[in-house]
Amino acid sequence: MDLLPTPEQDEIVATVRSQLHGDFDLHSLAAADGSPVVVPDELWRRCAELGWFGLGLEESLGGVGYTLAEEALLFAELGAHATPGPFLATVLAARVAALRGADDVAAAVLSGTAPVALGEVEAAGPGDAHLRITDLGGARYVLVVTDDRIALIGADTLDATDDASIDLLVPIATAPIPDLSEAVAELTGVDAAATRHRGTVLVAAQLAGIATGTAEQSVAYAVDREQFGVPIGSFQAVKHRCADMAVRAEAATSQYRLAALALADARADAPFQVAAARVVAADAAVTNAHTNVFNHGGIGFTWEHTAHRYVTRAQVLSRTLGDRRRHLSDLLGEPSPT
Amino acid sequence: MNLDLTDEERSFRDEARTWLREHLPHEPRPPEGPEMREFDLAWQRTLHDGGWAGINWPAEFGGRGLSDIQQMIWYEEFALADPPFTLANSCTFVGNMHGGPTLIVNGTDEQKARYLPTILRGEEVWCQGFSEPGAGSDLAGLSTRAEVDGDHLVVTGQKTWTSYAHVADLQELLVRTNPDAPKHKGITWVVCDMRSPGIDIRPIRTMSHVTDFCEVFYDEVRIPLANVVGGIDNGWRTAMSTLSFERGTGFMADQVELAATVERLIDEARTRTGPDGVRPAIADDEIARRLATVRAEVAALRAMTIAGISRNARTGMPGAEGSMIRLFHGELHQRVYQLALEVIGPEALRLTPVDGEGVWTGPYLQSFAYTIGGGTTDIQRNIVGERVLGLPRT
Repeated sequence: MDLLPTPEQDEIVATVRSQLHGDFDLHSLAAADGSPVVVPDELWRRCAELGWFGLGLEESLGGVGYTLAEEALLFAELGAHATPGPFLATVLAARVAALRGADDVAAAVLSGTAPVALGEVEAAGPGDAHLRITDLGGARYVLVVTDDRIALIGADTLDATDDASIDLLVPIATAPIPDLSEAVAELTGVDAAATRHRGTVLVAAQLAGIATGTAEQSVAYAVDREQFGVPIGSFQAVKHRCADMAVRAEAATSQYRLAALALADARADAPFQVAAARVVAADAAVTNAHTNVFNHGGIGFTWEHTAHRYVTRAQVLSRTLGDRRRHLSDLLGEPSPT
Repeated sequence: MNLDLTDEERSFRDEARTWLREHLPHEPRPPEGPEMREFDLAWQRTLHDGGWAGINWPAEFGGRGLSDIQQMIWYEEFALADPPFTLANSCTFVGNMHGGPTLIVNGTDEQKARYLPTILRGEEVWCQGFSEPGAGSDLAGLSTRAEVDGDHLVVTGQKTWTSYAHVADLQELLVRTNPDAPKHKGITWVVCDMRSPGIDIRPIRTMSHVTDFCEVFYDEVRIPLANVVGGIDNGWRTAMSTLSFERGTGFMADQVELAATVERLIDEARTRTGPDGVRPAIADDEIARRLATVRAEVAALRAMTIAGISRNARTGMPGAEGSMIRLFHGELHQRVYQLALEVIGPEALRLTPVDGEGVWTGPYLQSFAYTIGGGTTDIQRNIVGERVLGLPRT
């Protein structure tokens, strides 16, 4: 039993980190604010070449052949850097297509030529259920996730309307719920549930990454910024908030890793651990993102600073593949893990 | 990263499960006094005779020499066996969890030979003499004086918040041997025989009605110099190793037990009538969500404990990161018992003992100790801020 990355896993993380620093700098990405396609085609293909879309997919299915653990480490880094782009739906879609034997589709998704948007059913009122789609611009497919099915459909089959998104790097559109009988690949039953759980682990990892990234940002600022002639991190009020952020990040990180391993090993308590990871990570991400803005004072309230990116990303992700209420209810429905 | 148990760990778990089923006492633990001491020591002797004492102590000092993972497995099996008492409340805690481990790291061969076996065999009870009326969070500000007189220290002063002083044989005691040195440099860690002439122990009643909390007065108490651990005036270093054990792995049993407590609370919520007087408590949205939240948080606590063990295994010693677990655990422990009072409805106003089966209000009152003892959560936040995150000192 060990919950720290191996040296090989540390290397994967280091590679991902340096790529994100170079290619996904948030100040440069600000140029894409509000545009329908946030990550340019060429950059998306470069991510594909690094194997990011099939990191946890078995080699026999066309993937890199690592496990969900490595994939979750990647997603934690995406969270820590507030990296935009349709990573989650793309990674899940490659798996859905490969498991259903839609090899051409899987190959296109894995090669980065076919980005995949995410479609989830939401309801604004009685009888007003519709599909909420993130990252539709530039996508070839949409991965539609419902309670009991996961289906991959052509993006051009949807009659979608763009909405103003709270997160200008995560475009959102709305469409009527499509007819899934035209799906190019689909999973139901056990496979759909397992894939949904994998997605939930990846969202939890990304949220845990936000909790970690914001804690690091606050600590760096608390060391650097001086008031009253001393670094503000020497004041207990600030120091203690930073300590609480680190604790939340540590809790979320430890639990997403445990959940990833439990699911990868198909352990009986995996659904319990996954729901727990999702709950703890969402609370940690949202609370830390909020605290991080405050720790930066006036500069944290500006558009130029990246603190707000974490706030809105945490809000988007804590409503991705189900909201808090849903995961709490799932968790309470699970049997005791021991 | 893996969750696999080795063959050895798996057979250890199975052995522990079988042994606990056969040997766990079923009578309730006496709440205080000599009967309580006898109960706790009897359990320690049972553990020792069964080969379960000092699981993660080195074999050369009478332990099993097993890993912290095995120690955690043991606690998990103990909690699963539905014990009638809480390990963390045992008066054998100080000896097993930090007095003994401190001696293993800092003691002389003679000291190890003298003190370690009686801890494991359940023959001697240890208590802690660290806090003073004027030195709480500022532990290094302690003023209990010790002067060297021949081959003895002569101690005069006062300690407080000493759990089980009235039933203890020995004490890990911090005294000031050099009042002229900077405050961290004039402290000595020494083993004090609690039956020495000049010691006066007065119980303090706590808000949870427990009376095993004590203040201890020292009037020219003579302690052999041979009892000094880690050298005269070098006691701060020794004390830091004591605290790293206390904050690092000392509360593992408590953390594991909290998960079992949350599961019991969920069972209570399924069977007790809820706030509407009709449906079970778990049908109440607010109670259900709070239960699910603490269930997620105790899962994360366990994951943090495993991550902490993984870290210690790489460095060989518990580090400052232990304070993150301690901080998370202390506050979570309180939230669980605050929620318990919502779940149990009218029983929230009925007093129960602190320890035993199906008790909630006693442990609720006791839970206030969890953000104070072993360094307050404010102090834990300072440690996390300064020693884990590298923030500047005040």
